[in-house]
Amino acid sequence: MLEIPGRKEICNKFREGGGRVAAVMPIHYPRELFRAFGVLPIEVWGPPGMDISHSAAHLQPYVCSMVHNMLAFLKTGGLDCADFIIVPHACDSLQGLGSLLVDFVRPPQPVFPLYMPRGRRPEDVEFFAQEFRKLYDWLSNLTGRRPSDEQLMESILMEERADKALAKLYDLRTEVSLSVRDFYRVVRTRQYFPAEEFVSFVERVIDEYSGNPPDGVPVIMSGIVPEPMEVLDEIQNLGGIVVGDDFACCGRRVYPAGSGEDPFIRMAWRIVHGPPDVTRGDLIEERFEHLMDKVKKTGAAGMIFYTVKFCEPELFDLPDMRRRLKEAGIPSVHVEVDINDPLSHQTITRIGAFLEVLI
Amino acid sequence: MKRDWRASIRYYWNVKVLGNAYLRWQRWRMERKGPPRRWRTDILAPPLKIGARTKELISRHYLEGRYANGHKPVAWVTSGAPVEILQALGYYVLYPENHGALCGARKVSVEISTEAENAGYSRDICSYARTDIGAMLSGKTPVGKLPKPDLLFACTNICQTVLFWYRVLAEHFKVPLIVIDTPFVYTSPQEYSIQYVKKQLENAVPIAEKVAGRKLSYKKLKQVMRYSRMAAELWLQVMERGKNRPAPISVFDQFIHMAPIVEMRGKPETVDFYAAMLREVDDRVKKGIGAVRNEQRRLLWDNLPIWYKLRELSEYLAERGVAVVASTYTMAWGELAPLIDPEKPFESMARTYIQPILNVGTGKKLEKMKRMIEEYHLDGAILHSDRSCKPYSIGQVDQRNRLIRDYGVPALLLEADHNDPRSYADEQARARLDAFIEMLY
Repeated sequence: MLEIPGRKEICNKFREGGGRVAAVMPIHYPRELFRAFGVLPIEVWGPPGMDISHSAAHLQPYVCSMVHNMLAFLKTGGLDCADFIIVPHACDSLQGLGSLLVDFVRPPQPVFPLYMPRGRRPEDVEFFAQEFRKLYDWLSNLTGRRPSDEQLMESILMEERADKALAKLYDLRTEVSLSVRDFYRVVRTRQYFPAEEFVSFVERVIDEYSGNPPDGVPVIMSGIVPEPMEVLDEIQNLGGIVVGDDFACCGRRVYPAGSGEDPFIRMAWRIVHGPPDVTRGDLIEERFEHLMDKVKKTGAAGMIFYTVKFCEPELFDLPDMRRRLKEAGIPSVHVEVDINDPLSHQTITRIGAFLEVLI
Repeated sequence: MKRDWRASIRYYWNVKVLGNAYLRWQRWRMERKGPPRRWRTDILAPPLKIGARTKELISRHYLEGRYANGHKPVAWVTSGAPVEILQALGYYVLYPENHGALCGARKVSVEISTEAENAGYSRDICSYARTDIGAMLSGKTPVGKLPKPDLLFACTNICQTVLFWYRVLAEHFKVPLIVIDTPFVYTSPQEYSIQYVKKQLENAVPIAEKVAGRKLSYKKLKQVMRYSRMAAELWLQVMERGKNRPAPISVFDQFIHMAPIVEMRGKPETVDFYAAMLREVDDRVKKGIGAVRNEQRRLLWDNLPIWYKLRELSEYLAERGVAVVASTYTMAWGELAPLIDPEKPFESMARTYIQPILNVGTGKKLEKMKRMIEEYHLDGAILHSDRSCKPYSIGQVDQRNRLIRDYGVPALLLEADHNDPRSYADEQARARLDAFIEMLY
C-alpha cells in the first residue's frame, strides 16, 4: 500500500512550522482564505467507527452517522489539535450541528458556521463573497493578521493549481497503476494536505505509477464518502475498477479556476460553479448530465450509488437518477451504509452481483 | 400558462355556482348541529363553532384547485414561502405540506406514501415529501384531485428538505422552479443576508409574471401584504388568548384552525375568518370556558403536530386535566406579523421570511420556549422529536435538558413522526406520557 502521511502527522508538522489548524466539516468552503491567514484547513468526514454514545447526548438516532461521528470525534478529543472549527452549511443535519456547537456544546475552539447559497445566480456569488468577508474578519480578530488582496490572490492561485492537479489525476485514472483504494487515498489527501504539497505529491504519484492500470469492469461511484474504504478493495477484488466518482468529499469539489480581481468574488465563484451538487440545489437533470459526461469520458459500464443512511439530499435524487441512467442504458445499484458499521457481507454480495451483471 | 375558456366555464360553474352553494349549505348545517357524537364533551369544551367555517374555507380551497388548471396559473409552494407575490399575480397556490397534513389527519398518509416508497423513495426522507410524491405519482388524494403546477416556488426558511423535494417535483412536472434561499440565522440575521433574500424575491417576479402571463401590480401586492399582516396579527391574538386560565383554545384546536393562515395568507376572507375566530375565543374567555374542562396543568408543545394522533392525544391529556395551550409551531405564523410592512413589500418580506422559528438557531428557540413558558404560565413542555423534521428536532435533546436543569421546567421528548404512523409506538409513547404526567402533579 502507498505510504501517505495521515491527518495527525500533517497537522503536527504544520503546527510545528508555526501555522494554525482549522477543523472543517463538509462540504464546501474556501481553502484559500484560510491559507492566506497561515491556517491549514483539515477536513473532518466522520471519521468512521466512532462510539456515538458521546454524540447521542445531543443528537437523535435518526441523524446520519456522519454528523453523529463528527460530534463524537469532537467530544472525545479528536479535534483537540485544531485552533478553530468551521461548519459549512450543506443540509439540515449539518445546520443543526453548527447551531448546537454555537449554542450548547461550546467547544474550547471558536466555531464559525458558514452558510452556502443554493444556486448559481449572480446574487449567490455575491452573498457567498459576503460570507467570506465575514469569515475574513473573524479570522483577522483571532489571528491578528489582515492578508492583503495580493496575498489572498496568491493563495487562490495556489489552490487553483491544486484543483487542476486533482483534475489531472482524475483524467489519468485509467493510466496509472494505483489500486482503487490507493487512488482514493491520494485523492483524499486534498482534504488535509497543504495545496503546494498536494500538487507535488500528485505529480510524483503520476510519475511513479504511470502505466499498467489495474484491470476491471469500469464503474463510477456516487455518494458522500467512500467509507469504510475497504469497500474500494472489495470492488477491485470483485473485478471492478472505479474510474470516476461523484462523491461529495472527492469529485464534487474539483472546482474550476476563477477569474477577476476581487479575491472574495473569485473564491465564491469557484465554489458556486463547481460540479453539480444536490446540496447546492443543482437540478437532477444537471447532475444526470454531469454523470453521463463522466460515463462517456471513462467508458464506465455502471454506477454504484453508495449512500450514508439518513442522508436526505442523496436519497431524494436516487429514483430519478437511476431511472434516467437506466433509460440511457447504464445499470446502477444502490448500497446504503452506516459509517460506523464494518463493511457487511450483504454489501459485498450486492456489489459483487452487480459487477457480475456488468461483466 | 395557456388559458382555456372551457376550463374557465368549468371553474365558474363547479366552484362559484355549485361549489359555493353546497359548501355554504354544509356550513349552515354544521353550525346548527351539536358536537359530533364521538366528541368527548365530558372532558373537552364543545368544538369551536368556527370549525364549520374552517371546513368551508379549506374545502373551497381544494375545490378551487380541482378546477384551476387552464383557468388560473397554479403554483405549488412551501409553507413558509413569501406567497404574497403569487397571490398578487392571481395564482392558485397549493401547499403540498398542508395536503400532506390533511392526508395524515385523514389517516391515508401511509397508503399514499407507500406509492412513493414503491417507486424507490426511502422511508428515511420526510413523510410530507413522501406523501406528496406518492400523490403526484398515483393521483391518490382525499381531496378529489390536485391541480398540476405551472410554477414551483420553494423557500428554504423551513428546511433544506424542500429544496431536494421541489427538485424532484421539477423533474417530474418539467415546470420552472424558483428557489428563495434564506440563509440560516445562527445568532442574528446579517444585513447582507436580508439583501440577498430581497434580491432573489425581486428576481423571482419576472419569472412568476412570465408563467402567469400578467404583470405584477404593486398596488395589489401592497394590498395582499396588508391582508397578510392583518390575518397574522389576528392569528397571534387568538393564540395569545391561551394565556387565560382556563385557556379557551388548546394547541390541538390551533393545529386544525391554522390551515387558512398557512394556505390563504393575503386574502380578505382569511382576515374575516380570524376576526370571527377571535370573537368566539373572546366570548369563551368572558364565559370562563376552557378548552379542557378540568384544566389543572398547562403545557407547551414544540415541533409539528402528530397529525394522525391529534384526537387521541388531545383526549388522553384532557382526561388527565392537562391542557396544551401554546405551541412554538403555530406561533410561527403569527409572531412575525409586526415585521410585515406593506409600504416596503420586498424589504419587509425578506426580513420576515428569513427568521421563522425553523430558520433560527437552537439557542434562540430555547429562549423562545422559555419566554412562552413564562408568559403562558406553563407547567411543562412536550417536545415532539420528529423523525421527519430534522431542522426542528436537532437541538431538542439539549433544549429539554436545559428546560429541566436551568429553568426547573419538566420536559418530555416524545419520539414520533408528523405524518407516518409507522414511526409511532403507541405503548412506548403512552408509557412516557404517563410517567411525565405523574411528574407534573
